[in-house]
Amino acid sequence: MTSEKAPVIEVRHLTVSYGTRPALLDVSLSIEANQLVGVIGPNGSGKSTLIKVLLGFVRPDVGEVFIAGQDVQKAKGRVAYVPQRGAVDWDFPIIVREVVMMGRYQRIPWHRSPRKEDRDAALEALAMVRMADFADRQIGQLSGGQQQRVFLARALAQEADILLLDEPFAGVDAATERAILEVLGRAKAAGKTLVVVHHDLTTAAEYFDKLILLKQRLYAYAAPQMVLQEDLLSQVYEGRLRVFAGLMAKEGS
Amino acid sequence: MEFLLQAFWAPLTETYFQKALIGGCMVAVVAGVVGCLVVLRRMAFLGDALSHAMIAGVAGGYLVMKLLFGLEAHAPGMLLGSLLAAVLTVALIGLVARISRIKEDTAIGIMYTGVFALGVVVVSIFRGYIHIDLMHFILGDILGIADTDLWVSAVVAALVLGILILFFRHFQLATFDPVMAAAIGLPVLLLDYALTTCVSLVVVSAVSMVGVILVVGLLITPAATAYLLCDRLDKMMALAALFGVTSVVGGLYLCVWLDSAGGGAVMLFSTLQFLAVLTVAPRYGLLARWLRLRRLVPQQVVEDILTAILRHQGETLLPVIRQYVQQPLHLARALRQMEQEGLVSVAGDGYRLTESGEKEARQVLRAHRLWETYLQSIGTPREALHPTAHRMEHMRAAGTVDYLDEKLGHPARDPHGRKIPPPEENEK
Repeated sequence: MTSEKAPVIEVRHLTVSYGTRPALLDVSLSIEANQLVGVIGPNGSGKSTLIKVLLGFVRPDVGEVFIAGQDVQKAKGRVAYVPQRGAVDWDFPIIVREVVMMGRYQRIPWHRSPRKEDRDAALEALAMVRMADFADRQIGQLSGGQQQRVFLARALAQEADILLLDEPFAGVDAATERAILEVLGRAKAAGKTLVVVHHDLTTAAEYFDKLILLKQRLYAYAAPQMVLQEDLLSQVYEGRLRVFAGLMAKEGS
Repeated sequence: MEFLLQAFWAPLTETYFQKALIGGCMVAVVAGVVGCLVVLRRMAFLGDALSHAMIAGVAGGYLVMKLLFGLEAHAPGMLLGSLLAAVLTVALIGLVARISRIKEDTAIGIMYTGVFALGVVVVSIFRGYIHIDLMHFILGDILGIADTDLWVSAVVAALVLGILILFFRHFQLATFDPVMAAAIGLPVLLLDYALTTCVSLVVVSAVSMVGVILVVGLLITPAATAYLLCDRLDKMMALAALFGVTSVVGGLYLCVWLDSAGGGAVMLFSTLQFLAVLTVAPRYGLLARWLRLRRLVPQQVVEDILTAILRHQGETLLPVIRQYVQQPLHLARALRQMEQEGLVSVAGDGYRLTESGEKEARQVLRAHRLWETYLQSIGTPREALHPTAHRMEHMRAAGTVDYLDEKLGHPARDPHGRKIPPPEENEK
């Protein structure tokens, strides 16, 4: 484990372009270990590009990205990704235990079978998301929140220090959102760094240690109350957040 | 002349050819129209399923009529049997796809081969009682159309076309957005069954001409051909009908000239027609696509030319410009286009910037020099400054350049000591 102070994700002067449009422009960030970080910004603001860069899928035009001090291209597998729920075929013939075991595949050479230590790690990850009782269920038989937790368990079984989650709270009810959030908190407590793409500004302050406010440029990266300022948000969302202004006022009082 | 007359006119005087032409065209028109909906709903495989399922229905109809009424090869009985088999197959497919986790494409595959197999087994078991030529059934015989077939086709064509024209809007909406259709109270399920029945009717009337295997082609190929040419459903249906007719006419002549199988010739012609349209279609064709890509001058090349001339100052010869442009392939075309757009003008042996060209060029140069300054400020090695900035200078959308300018504190000169052009005041 890296020490508390050293950044696990370091992004320096990152610029990524699609043709003549910048997807990300001059973004510099350093995310310390053991944090729950939310990424917010309007549609097309470069959130998913940032995730792709952190996974090493997109190469920057300018700038550098380091994962635990290593260039991102050489750090494949150190960053675990939790996909959006819509991206999964829930009828696939596979049970929860096997999905989580996939998190171990990068450590198992082709010529040997998963060992006890792999099975244990998978079960441990399942226990961490409180899904151990469901290990033998087919994934389609789970509720939305349970499905999300299984994929979180898979990411945990990868033993990556960094987890990237793409809108884990999309389309789940309030109770499920709580359950997922609780698991994120436990992962954080276990020393993970979590970067979560998030859409709901009203809950962002409560959920995250720090927020990244993006719209091509990095508008803010700080504690939520520093980021959720009306002037900042109206710059990024171009004044389309009148509703939100009222909400902030209420919260402030 | 004599020969041409002979080639085109002689077949028309033959009764079998006339019948084939009339029957084929009727079927092709209605198949093309209904095929549009089949293509747009991605049910091409279903057409195949229906035609194969028919054999069980034909055998069943034959058997029932013979055993119960003693009628040999009773056409209406077989027709009814095919329709029943088709609808039954569709219902089974729907059932399997709905109640199990089997996806629809697999359900279609299972059910139609099953029903087809049933038909084959029944036909072979009762070969003493019923006389169905399996080969005829599979390949069809457009040149040997019976009068009853013609009548069946005529009735089917009139009925199906009538339904589709009367309820055009209903089918359009139910195909495009079934949820909204249901929400405004359209009987979506009924429409689905109506469409399936229409397809079954068309398939049943077409099988005697082109056979089980090729009938799906008659349904979807003309429709797909039309799809490449237009962006509206009503036009697509009209064109599909037209392409169906040309397929039949072209195919029949092909078959007479080459003395080949009728159904095969029709579908071959239809496929060739599709490939021809795919090549030359104005918007969605391969040729158009290729031309569009060729004509497209990359903005990068335009901007490279602008700055090349600006840096060189005044009249600039082609070889000089070429040195600065990263993709010299597009150079000549880019220059021609820029001349049309009034960015450059021909001067002597070279090119010179017009007023608007110079303005544009200054903005590119400004972006380039600001990028260089920025890159230096983040510690980019000196030798990488120019090439990187040369790539990044084209990225000027969304206030990128202004952002750099502000961030760097409005620098006057770039790392090489050259002046950074000011922002264009009258921009926006």
